[in-house]
Amino acid sequence: MATVSFQQASRIYPKADRPAVDALDLDIADGEFLVLVGPSGCGKSTSLRMLAGLEEVDSGSVLIGDRDVTDSPPKQRDIAMVFQNYALYPHMTVGENMGFALKLAGVKKTEIAGRVAEAAKILDLSDYLDRRPKALSGGQRQRVAMGRAIVRSPQVFLMDEPLSNLDAKLRVQTRTQISALQRRLGTTTVYVTHDQVEAMTMGDRVAVLKDGVLQQVDTPGALYDRPANVFVAGFIGSPAMNLVTGDAVDGGVRIAGAVLPVPRAQLTRAAASNGKVTVGFRPEALHLVGRGEGVPVEVNVVEQLGADAYLYTTLAGGDDDVMHTSDVVVRTEPRSAPAAGQQLWLDVREGDLHVFDAATQQRVS
Amino acid sequence: MATLALPGTETTAVTPVDRPERRGGKGSRSGKAGPVTYTLLTLTALVSIFPLYWTVVAGSHTNAELAGSPPPFLPSASLFDNFKLALEQAPIGKAILNSIIVAGSITVGTVLFCTLAGFAFAKLQFRGKGLLLALVIGTMMVPTQLSVIPLFMMIADLQWVNQLQAVILPTLVSAFGVFFMRQFLISALPNELLEAGRVDGASTFRIFWSIVVPVARPAMAVLAMLTFLTAWNEFFWPIIALTTANPTVQVALAGLGSGYVPQQSVIMAGTLLGTLPVLIVFTILGKQIVGGIMQGAVKG
Repeated sequence: MATVSFQQASRIYPKADRPAVDALDLDIADGEFLVLVGPSGCGKSTSLRMLAGLEEVDSGSVLIGDRDVTDSPPKQRDIAMVFQNYALYPHMTVGENMGFALKLAGVKKTEIAGRVAEAAKILDLSDYLDRRPKALSGGQRQRVAMGRAIVRSPQVFLMDEPLSNLDAKLRVQTRTQISALQRRLGTTTVYVTHDQVEAMTMGDRVAVLKDGVLQQVDTPGALYDRPANVFVAGFIGSPAMNLVTGDAVDGGVRIAGAVLPVPRAQLTRAAASNGKVTVGFRPEALHLVGRGEGVPVEVNVVEQLGADAYLYTTLAGGDDDVMHTSDVVVRTEPRSAPAAGQQLWLDVREGDLHVFDAATQQRVS
Repeated sequence: MATLALPGTETTAVTPVDRPERRGGKGSRSGKAGPVTYTLLTLTALVSIFPLYWTVVAGSHTNAELAGSPPPFLPSASLFDNFKLALEQAPIGKAILNSIIVAGSITVGTVLFCTLAGFAFAKLQFRGKGLLLALVIGTMMVPTQLSVIPLFMMIADLQWVNQLQAVILPTLVSAFGVFFMRQFLISALPNELLEAGRVDGASTFRIFWSIVVPVARPAMAVLAMLTFLTAWNEFFWPIIALTTANPTVQVALAGLGSGYVPQQSVIMAGTLLGTLPVLIVFTILGKQIVGGIMQGAVKG
């Protein structure tokens, strides 16, 4: 077990016009489960591969514990990696796959057998040790890939979207198993995913990346409650946070003819550059108010999920230059959900309005 | 009418009822091959086997019998007499041994070196890779005849004339083999497998040996078979570099049955002796070759 630290680490692919990972600064504590999340092409897998030693670090450094491993080959880093497509050796049995790294390290056969059997027991693979990967189901292959990582007892586990090839039900099941396993072993883990639900449910902390730049790193709760910028606000949470840009007026922001109150200090900072302010509010932060009292919307679609209902609405009315096509998602009680086509008035619960500078996209509230 | 019908209407409901009938129909694709296919396959098989069969027939008669009308169509017991004659006239036993050594060494060398080079060209990153590959492929365009004289001068300088290494060394690696293995490994070997090997702590050579070779085995078997056959049948360079005192099979056969009237039956018996080892190799590797071709088909 060890800490991991990226210090101004950058990776620029040959012939690329911008870095795939741009001056990444990230400290991961000993035993922590850190999730790297972001849309495709954001540099999350590249960051993981830089830590694994599979990708060059063009500038900056990468540390595991207090060792600078920037230029070390993977085998000197004491890491184990789970790949997206598992990368199991097709000609080896499950047992051989799991024991290969130990065999290369010159560990005695009896000890390899013992450690493989132990890992197989944890992962419920004891009956499959003599099978080849092609004779296993997707979930079993995934567990073999995990087993290959844990038999080595490495300092750091690296996982590159290990659940993306599983079906939805198995993914949820395996998600909890991986979390439980990590807590039990206490090994520092860096986990890459594009799925923000996976990130929020698994990580002790979550690092959000976009275009190779770290946007925010914090606990799942803090990311949800206080997103640092418009990108994080829109990326974390499902359905996403509603983000609307409007003019700063006296006392607040004008949205579809209504004014959402914003404290003066925040309003001044947010509107400093161009007089416009972006406000964000989550679907559950909205509540219905009387006719003409809040932001007017028209219901397009009602999604019934059983426990909740989501109203997909469009801003209506008003004569300002707000984009009238903006969609606003509202969470309501499923039993008393309004019908499609109905007009409603919404207000944001106090303290649940996120205010961003429309020009810099940074949080000001 | 069917295009206008909405799902769930009568028209769409009829479709599933139609299907089983079509499946069971005469034009079914899922059933066994028809008589036309079998006839064509049988004819192709007969045409392919006939030269070998004729070698057996011709090798088991005398020149006079072969010249008769109609010619014989069944083998006779004198095949073994002709074998004996062939073995007396040319050192076929030694030639077969030499050919096994030559073709075997060339096959082992070609498969090993081409797999190594193919792996490097397919998966490793190094400066000048594209140019080097172009050079390797470029050598395929140079005709063998062009290199014969300088090659002969070289082996003469090395005093290798009439020695087996003179025919083994120049063909220990082939541009075709390098290209063939590269193409196979590009598609059959996922990069993650190599990365998993690196993370597991394997050196590049260990990755080659423990991961690349097992994955490449079907392609290596195909290359081995092709190389062995080519090396076994090679005539042009061996007849220049070797003499009938230390020949390969093809060189020995060239000196067989010569005289005022060529002895066709002895030549055929000798040819049969020279072909048998190849047939045996083909039988052993046959399953692997089919496996290799099948694997390529599935991957594609």
